Amino acid sequence: MEKDLHKEVCEEHIYSSLYEKLAQGLHDFLYYKYGQGLNPNDKVQEAFIKLWENCKKVSSAKAKSFLYTVANNLMLNEIKHQKVVLKYQNQKPRSYTKESPEFLMEQDEYYKKYQEVLSRLNEEQRTAFMLNKVEGKKHEEIAQILGVTRKVVEYRIYSAFKVLRDELEGFRIK
Amino acid sequence: MNKEELIQKWLSDTLSPEESAAFEKLEDAAFIKGIVDDAAAFKASQFAAPGDYQQLKTRLSTREPAKEKIHWIRPLLRVASVVLIGFVLSYFLWPGNTTKIETNFGEQTSVSLPDESMVTLNAVSELAFNEKNWDKSRKVRLIGEAFFDVVKGSRFQVITPKGEITVLGTEFNVKQRGQFFEVSCYEGSVQVISGQRELILEVGDSFRSYGGDFSSGKNSYTTPQWTQNTSTFERVAIVEVFAELERQFGVVITLENVKADQLFTGGFSHDNLENALKSITEPLNLDYSITETNNVRVIPGEK
Repeated sequence: MEKDLHKEVCEEHIYSSLYEKLAQGLHDFLYYKYGQGLNPNDKVQEAFIKLWENCKKVSSAKAKSFLYTVANNLMLNEIKHQKVVLKYQNQKPRSYTKESPEFLMEQDEYYKKYQEVLSRLNEEQRTAFMLNKVEGKKHEEIAQILGVTRKVVEYRIYSAFKVLRDELEGFRIK
Repeated sequence: MNKEELIQKWLSDTLSPEESAAFEKLEDAAFIKGIVDDAAAFKASQFAAPGDYQQLKTRLSTREPAKEKIHWIRPLLRVASVVLIGFVLSYFLWPGNTTKIETNFGEQTSVSLPDESMVTLNAVSELAFNEKNWDKSRKVRLIGEAFFDVVKGSRFQVITPKGEITVLGTEFNVKQRGQFFEVSCYEGSVQVISGQRELILEVGDSFRSYGGDFSSGKNSYTTPQWTQNTSTFERVAIVEVFAELERQFGVVITLENVKADQLFTGGFSHDNLENALKSITEPLNLDYSITETNNVRVIPGEK
């Protein structure tokens, strides 16, 4: 009556396919939540190493939640209240505007302000907002990743949106 | 439906066609949509990405031994269990079929031995025995906790890293977690050998060793409570109590500014994490907070 529980993660082809599948999403989650300064890539690798070291105790179904927990803890360990500043890259200007010098300067100021507001947001609000609106993850998936309910995720996204709207009000074209 | 409700529904992508049309008619619809669209300027993958798999492989093969421990309960248990499993595994390499059963976090399982004796394993435990040899020698090796219901017959032995139990046919519970070793007898009689000590337990007796200390006592119940979905403790150091909570619920608990060797008498049910945490923290005047992804912080409570 032998139960070969959870040996599959110890097999390299399964472990490497877990990496292909999950590394990007985990990296982006850490990036949005903690910024680049705390080296999210490093934490992703450390988390996967811990997964390998514990491969017998974690089933491939539970691997995702294990990885997110470990990576988040590694970050919390290192965090020194650094301000999270996300980089931006100007997108195509919206079609209804002209590219006058005043416009370009205003656009740059807009994005600077946006960046500043993002960095001031509560990290939970920022993470939920970015994962949903930029990465296109559904509320349900975000809820699972963060270990909260869907309603909490909706609330955080709405809260983030309200702050952005209030702070960027000055840039609204009346 | 007012404007804010419309916006909320738009944000969660749950607008009906009519509501969608109403949203587009909002005076600042373009501004609102712009805020969300412009977030794309900050998309992570434009600036940073995880390394590729080859990079990870290189790192795996050249890694240094583990540096900073985050919590000390988990690594300690993990190291202890890895060392013990390694030790026990080498012990188990006798010829013939060794059957090994393991449980993971929050898992319990029942095992039937070749003579119809029953063993119920608690979470994070391991049982091993030789099926082929069973009629000649009824011997199992245990790491962790299990309840035994042994059919009368020849000598039945349980070997754990911290002690040995011998019976002829009884019901008893063995709990071996790190330094903590406890045997409770529920039926018949049981011989326990632990360190230098040897004693016989009758129905209702229990024996415990923790670190260097030994104690004998009586069972409070007629059957181990963990098989009834409750974990109970009598004057057990809270670090052990929280370790059991981790095993039953699969969470990670950190104690901050809390005396880990405080003694606790009481229990928690396995149904609900918050109730379980309350059952332990309230009598001890502690507080807890659950952060995201299954982490719990335990701190001293308000006076």
